[in-house]
Amino acid sequence: MADNVVVETRALSKVYRDFWGRQKVRALKALDLEIYRGEVFGLLGPNGSGKTTTIKLLLGLLFPTDGEALVLGKPATDVEKNERIGYLPEESYLYRFLNAEETLDFYGRLFDIPPEVRRERIDKLIKQVKLDAARKRQLREYSKGMTRRIGLAQALINEPDLILLDEPTSGLDPIGTREMKDWILELRDQGKTVVMCSHLLADVQDVCDRIAILHQGELKELGRVEDLLKVEDVTQVSARGLSAECQNEIRDVIARHNGELLSMDNPTTTLEELFLSIVRDSEARPGRRVVREEEATPPENSGESTEPPSTAS
Amino acid sequence: MIQEEPLLPFKTWLLEWDADRWGAFWHFLLVMVVLAMLSLVIGLIIGTILHGPVKAGERAYRVVANAFRELFHISPRRIWAIARVAMQEALRRRVLVAVAVFVLLLLFAGWFLKTDREPAKLYFSFVLTATSFLGLFIALLLSVFSLPNDFKTKTIYTVVTKPVRAGDIILGRILGFTLVGSLLLLVMGGASYLFVSRALTHTHTVAAQKELPERTSRSDGHSHKLEVRDDGQIIAMYEHGHEHSVEKRGDRYMVSPPEGMIRARVPLYGELKFLNRQGVEVEKGVSVGKEWGYRSFIEGGTQAAAVWTFDGINEDTLIDEGEDGRYLPIEIVVRVFRTWKADINTPVQGIIQLKRPGSDLKTEPEFFFADDNTIDLKYFPESLTDTNNQPVDLLEDLVSEDGQLEVVVQCLDRAQYFGFARGDCYIHLRDASPFWNFVKAYISIWVQMVVVIAIAVTGSTVLSGPIAMLFTVSFILLGFQRDFLMGVATDKVEGGGPIEALVRIPTHMNLISDFKDQHFGIKLMRLVDDGLQALMQVLASVLPDFGNLSTADYVAYGFDIPWNQVLQQLFLGGAYVIGLAIVGYFLLRNREVAK
Ligand SMILES: Nc1ncnc2c1ncn2[C@@H]1O[C@H](COP(=O)(O)OP(=O)(O)OP(=O)(O)O)[C@@H](O)[C@H]1O
Ligand SMILES: [Mg+2]
Repeated sequence: MADNVVVETRALSKVYRDFWGRQKVRALKALDLEIYRGEVFGLLGPNGSGKTTTIKLLLGLLFPTDGEALVLGKPATDVEKNERIGYLPEESYLYRFLNAEETLDFYGRLFDIPPEVRRERIDKLIKQVKLDAARKRQLREYSKGMTRRIGLAQALINEPDLILLDEPTSGLDPIGTREMKDWILELRDQGKTVVMCSHLLADVQDVCDRIAILHQGELKELGRVEDLLKVEDVTQVSARGLSAECQNEIRDVIARHNGELLSMDNPTTTLEELFLSIVRDSEARPGRRVVREEEATPPENSGESTEPPSTAS
Repeated sequence: MIQEEPLLPFKTWLLEWDADRWGAFWHFLLVMVVLAMLSLVIGLIIGTILHGPVKAGERAYRVVANAFRELFHISPRRIWAIARVAMQEALRRRVLVAVAVFVLLLLFAGWFLKTDREPAKLYFSFVLTATSFLGLFIALLLSVFSLPNDFKTKTIYTVVTKPVRAGDIILGRILGFTLVGSLLLLVMGGASYLFVSRALTHTHTVAAQKELPERTSRSDGHSHKLEVRDDGQIIAMYEHGHEHSVEKRGDRYMVSPPEGMIRARVPLYGELKFLNRQGVEVEKGVSVGKEWGYRSFIEGGTQAAAVWTFDGINEDTLIDEGEDGRYLPIEIVVRVFRTWKADINTPVQGIIQLKRPGSDLKTEPEFFFADDNTIDLKYFPESLTDTNNQPVDLLEDLVSEDGQLEVVVQCLDRAQYFGFARGDCYIHLRDASPFWNFVKAYISIWVQMVVVIAIAVTGSTVLSGPIAMLFTVSFILLGFQRDFLMGVATDKVEGGGPIEALVRIPTHMNLISDFKDQHFGIKLMRLVDDGLQALMQVLASVLPDFGNLSTADYVAYGFDIPWNQVLQQLFLGGAYVIGLAIVGYFLLRNREVAK
């Protein structure tokens, strides 16, 4: 396994069974994934497509029915890997009788951090997630957004290298969503790897370097966001100040080259379209689809230079 | 007080290597090894059925390898972190309300608990029983719902995704709840001690007149006879388990608080054997029926006798009464069984003699009147006379070279019986501190509590709250019935195995008579019973003997709890915690957390 591969799954499958061992749901079917150091990886998919299941498998909260998952070079069920992992669950599952400080203190104590550093970090994180005013209040009194924030702070208490976020923006207001996205980008800038899952396309598009789209437990699409959104056989032209003649001329040029002019509109967000088309497509033709992952050069762990290299394949 | 089995010396108890009795340590090892083997085999079988032998073997290997690796990664820091949260959880769940309930209970108990006989016994039994039940109950409630609650609220997700080993979670919980429980016991113990000493204390007045009156005033349902001792000290004589000293100040008498009400006698027990009507040595006396089963009886007016052999008698055994010389303090409890009523107010008469082991040298009979179930004191001075009226010296003549002495007790009245068990006659060596005795009784309760917490935490790693509770409660109840279970399993209890008993009950069959025809059904029944009995024996050998873990009786009856016993209990508690934590580790580690 290459040095910069942080997460690797091989034919990872999960079948939920009931108490008697009868098969209930095939939540994940032979997932192959590689997630590289320093990238923000998005798991995308409709409700019930297996995103949370994947994350839980990566954390060792679930045991795979088949296949295996390696996280930071260790099997997912190995507890040691947790030293360098942060996890924000779907909903923040925290002790409701503790206040913000006590919560972070408790989780901090589970790591081998010197007490002074722990206290410093708690203070910093509480300020960072803007809970300074509520630090002494029990979590049972927190609003959903506040719980999300303390959940994130809890996930960062050990300054992890790999952060798994399950729907990080759910329950947050637009401002909170913006802040969360900024934090994620900040983490990436610090060289950390972030794996997040979401069905909010805008969020994913804004922060993710690469995405995987799951549907009914199957991997449908995998690649760099900008590559996935680039439609190869479509050229988009946009210009300002063209006269009607000029436009006609361009139409003629296209017609001469046997092209077909589709539109000359402004470009739209197309992740939503891509997503919907994949879901539609996969419902029409169930089964695994060959994922068009162009063996992309994984991004080097580079602080600022996160500009996507515009590779044409 | 019933003390069935003599207390073994600590080292024997722990390490003895004998065909009949394995030391507790070996027993523990055996149980753990058998359990490990059993789970490995069952795990492999199930794994093979589900995934085939190769994968099953691989998984089993991984589980075991993980366990060994993680054993060295258990961290006090993480355990303490988890313990702290467990404590916070408990305190936020308002366990302290329980303390308030207990104190209220004590306040009202004072009204209902009134007795004329042995008030100390009643009060101590009451507070110790109340504490242990309330304490165990709260410990159970706290610990049994904690982990299942974490699973239900999924808080466990955020915990196990930190570098926490399953062992940390279990030990942390046990530690946290133990600390909370200890706090509770401390408060309840303090309140109890105050309650008992307040409830027992009372005083009498003595009318100020020229001559000392015959009796004190009545108080707490009794009065004392007054006597002036040779040295001029006025004593309110022994009554209701205590006496008072009285001081004369001018014309008035000041009566002290009760003395000797709470005691912690340190006894020296002997070995008991019986002589039958013909004076021949037998293992047991006569049985007079079930309720009295624990004691053996000797018939009055015959040669039948109960003989205790005491070991290690020397100068230190005697008590020094100053000018009065030294005495051998023998105390004896007699159960009287009357085959005819006679005059119920006339006590049955008996004799007690000291005898040199292995010879016929006996002291002159000392007569006593047996009051059923009360402690009789017999102080033998150093110089005595033997049956031929010759002077004998207690230490020189009656005690053998190896320090042994026999005490022979017989009943004089024809057709009446005296019943004895080993612990009924003892040499009263000294009195220990009643306060520390009380503390020791609380240590026993504490050990019980820790065992309950360990069972509950371990059970709740895989069971949901209510089921775990059911599991723990049945564990405790079976634990209290452990002796019976073992008795049925090893055929010591009459009536056969469970199926046979099921047949006997509806057919109103006598427990002892055999089945008339030995047809196939009976044989099958016996076979199934044998299997069940083997299972019961296995079960009984891992159950904690809660009955034996309770030392409340010692305190109630005023006997010192030997430190040896406390130590054994502490070790036992430790063994349960270790054993259960290991089981709990495997259960939790291999449970799919997010399922
Ligand atoms: N504990 C469980 N027992 C049985 N089935 C489960 C369990 N958890 C999830 N599933 C099933 O597995 C499938 C995938 O669920 P998963 O939670 O991974 O979806 P998701 O992609 O996270 O969806 P969402 O966007 O709604 O969070 C679903 O069909 C779900 O019903
Ligand atoms: Mg989900």
